[in-house]
Amino acid sequence: MTGPGPFPDVARVDARDKVRGMTPYGADNHPPNLAHAMLVTAQIGKGRLVKVDTDAARAVAGVQLVLTHQDTEGLKADGYLFANGRSFQSVQPMIGTAIAYRGQPIALVVADSLEAAIEGAEQVSAEYVTAPFSVTLDSEGTEILAQADLPLPKPAFADKNVGDADAALAAAPVTVDAVYDSAPQHQNPIELIATVASWDGDELTVYESTQHVEGIRQGLAFELGISPDKVRVISPFCGGSFGQKNAMHAQTVLVALAARTLGRPVKLVVPRSQLFHNTSFRPPTRHRVRLGADRAGKIVAAVHEIDQQTSRHDLFPSMATDTSARLHGIPNFRSRERLRRTDVQTPGFMRAPWEHAAAFAFESAIDELAYALDRDPVELRLANELPYDVVTGKPFSSRHLSECLRRGAELFGWARRRMAPRSMRETDGTLVGWGVATGAYPSVISPSIAQLRVTDDGGIVLNVGVQEMGQGARNAVAAAVADVLKVRADQVTTLLGDTKGPPPHLTAGSWGTATAVPAARQAAIDMREALRKLQPEASNGATPAGILRHAKRPFLEVEARHQAPGAPDAVFDRMKQGLLAYVGPEFPEFVSFSFIAHFVEVHVEPATCRVRVPRVVTVADCGRVVSPRTAASQLRGGVVWGIGGALREASEVDPRYGGFLNADLAEYLVPVNADIGDIQVDFVDKPDPMLNNAGVKGLGEVANVGPAAAVANAVYHATGRRVRHLPIRIEDLL
Amino acid sequence: MNRNELQEVVTPAQSILVSTRPGEQSAGAPGSSGLSIDIVVNRQRRQLDVDPRASLLDLVRDHLHLMGTKKGCDHGQCGACTVHLDGRRVVSCLMLALQADGREVTTIEGLAGPNGSLHVMQQAFIDHDALQCGYCTPGQIMSAVACVREGHANSVAGIREYMSGNLCRCGAYVGIVAAIQDAAPRMQGAEP
Repeated sequence: MTGPGPFPDVARVDARDKVRGMTPYGADNHPPNLAHAMLVTAQIGKGRLVKVDTDAARAVAGVQLVLTHQDTEGLKADGYLFANGRSFQSVQPMIGTAIAYRGQPIALVVADSLEAAIEGAEQVSAEYVTAPFSVTLDSEGTEILAQADLPLPKPAFADKNVGDADAALAAAPVTVDAVYDSAPQHQNPIELIATVASWDGDELTVYESTQHVEGIRQGLAFELGISPDKVRVISPFCGGSFGQKNAMHAQTVLVALAARTLGRPVKLVVPRSQLFHNTSFRPPTRHRVRLGADRAGKIVAAVHEIDQQTSRHDLFPSMATDTSARLHGIPNFRSRERLRRTDVQTPGFMRAPWEHAAAFAFESAIDELAYALDRDPVELRLANELPYDVVTGKPFSSRHLSECLRRGAELFGWARRRMAPRSMRETDGTLVGWGVATGAYPSVISPSIAQLRVTDDGGIVLNVGVQEMGQGARNAVAAAVADVLKVRADQVTTLLGDTKGPPPHLTAGSWGTATAVPAARQAAIDMREALRKLQPEASNGATPAGILRHAKRPFLEVEARHQAPGAPDAVFDRMKQGLLAYVGPEFPEFVSFSFIAHFVEVHVEPATCRVRVPRVVTVADCGRVVSPRTAASQLRGGVVWGIGGALREASEVDPRYGGFLNADLAEYLVPVNADIGDIQVDFVDKPDPMLNNAGVKGLGEVANVGPAAAVANAVYHATGRRVRHLPIRIEDLL
Repeated sequence: MNRNELQEVVTPAQSILVSTRPGEQSAGAPGSSGLSIDIVVNRQRRQLDVDPRASLLDLVRDHLHLMGTKKGCDHGQCGACTVHLDGRRVVSCLMLALQADGREVTTIEGLAGPNGSLHVMQQAFIDHDALQCGYCTPGQIMSAVACVREGHANSVAGIREYMSGNLCRCGAYVGIVAAIQDAAPRMQGAEP
């Protein structure tokens, strides 16, 4: 199975609407008689509500309703997504009086106008009993849990122990032993979380940008105690997500409840400052990496130990060493992952959730080893490739990391690099650093159902279970259909993100393309066969509409299903319940990952130590590239994330107060246009022969695995300073 | 452009006076003291009662239902709400609706030609895939058009600097710069 392609470079199919501001995001829906809502949040780090005073709020002109915990009788919490729920955490605010973390919602004010709702929310006051809390990895009261001992599925969450890493390390003549830290981060898509809920009798319609309409539908129905048949959730587009919108948030059911109580539609747009506490975030981590090599540069052992923050109420597991074990062919590998319980909302997924920090740590350590061995860091990595996976002994479905490294080095001009730190300068004295790092990300596949309908007027309509959040999902599935039916991608209408269609699985974890494209392709192949049966003598140039007209059929419909190799049919049942049903990266016959190599140039101004990134070259192995235009943009975007993660982004915590201090876009620094220079991207573009019928692997996440390490390694090369924490700031280099 | 010049720009056919209809919700809570303003939005003159607390952004979205202008921060930090006010770019979340009295507002919906033809900047954003999720895109395009008119699009460094008030979390900056470089020379003469 080598699959289709190569695919043509076509424009983003939804770009024309996007440049005109016509694309509908969740908050853009404005049903008649709409009321507006605003949340009130807890101002203590932990404790219990004693009293919520809503009198002043109710007296504000235009305020129609104030909901508190006293108005939520009968409401049930849906549960945490890693515990057979659909919510980003198990705590559903405003059920009961417990305050688990600063920023937890305690009231919802609804008014005729947004201005009145805001004023009303400011008038709500509360009395609390406070309790001691811990909010950082090292706070007193933090509970440390060994992940291997927790009730998490094995072997997925077991420590890895391949060969005898400790013995090999002890015997190795050259070793590295270093600790790396990463700061908490927030996803911060520019679109704010928003819910628009309206009832028609006992039927609820929710507009909310999400990565998982079915999860919200099922979760809401459970929380409200109504049938899922009575709930419709619509999210054709997401204004960015990056993991933030992958599960149900607290406000959705509260807005639905308010709309039912008031008998009119209600909209809530959650302010940015509140989002820092009412969605997940990337937890801080600490990595101890030990590497051992022989003097010839063969890496013989690695030990990767991780501590990661989780909440007091949920176990957000670490899956980082799934990837670090596959970055290089290291025959003796041991990992140990621990969680630290703290009083925060449950941390979660943010683009390359674990792998961003893990690759920073591991690929920094590889760079340190290269200097300890006095070996070129590209050459060292090339010398430690293995064609099979040491963890399982199985082959990789495809692994073109060497080609990523070689092609990237050539495009970058790596051969001109001088090894010694501080050895390259511009004529004005600017320190120049060149760094490299690799990345990998598991290939995972979720179940998917595709419905394809062609009509005699030329319509080709695809409804398939994947969400569009800017990654180019519509282009990818349209390209898959267009390739088979011999039409243009922009002739395929893609209906996504509506629970009226076939139930979609959560779109996350870089599995969207490998999940939806094979289903869409199979539906198109089935359609092609059905059309052939209608008119076996049809010429090659016959269009689907022409064949239908010839056969006097107004339309033709097919449905195709796709699931991961070896996945049981039960995955479809779980998907229909809005539950996680992905399989991978280990499959019966192989293990599958995407791979990447990043080459970064930094300039460090010698007096101020300001770091700039004038150019990056990145080469990815994501299997066949179905949508070259959007894939290139997605890859560049991942590199921008890496630069932000390396040099800018940190959610600041004050252990005395809890919560996050820099809860807006002026204080939480994301890369701006002037921070970004040239980013050249390229693809191996070889179809994966084993994973699916289209030869595709994932791209969105692997793009942000490794670029931060490449920046850090370039900073070392420029300055001689090995900074072992993210982000790297001027004060680290002065 | 100031208010007097407006009379010359707005043709009689476009100068339709739209006032809040009886029974239509005014831009403010019932009972609050709505204040009357007279503004031109996308070449259409309107008289509106506005809540003195309302931002221009919320006026445009919640009351004029022009949803292309986006709320990303409500604090003037992200640029997603960028519109043109008398031809200059402003972040509409930082301006009270009342301050727009007597002035001309252009949103992304007003950028295309009267026949629906795309502005050259809109086409350049498509051609260079200068967007991903599309949420910041209307603000980016409004800023990009202003950036060219201000004379800040003559170099890559200038574009990067003067487009840094518009955040793109998807990271489409390389495409945005390329789109502006492409569109800038073609905007000369193509604009009214």
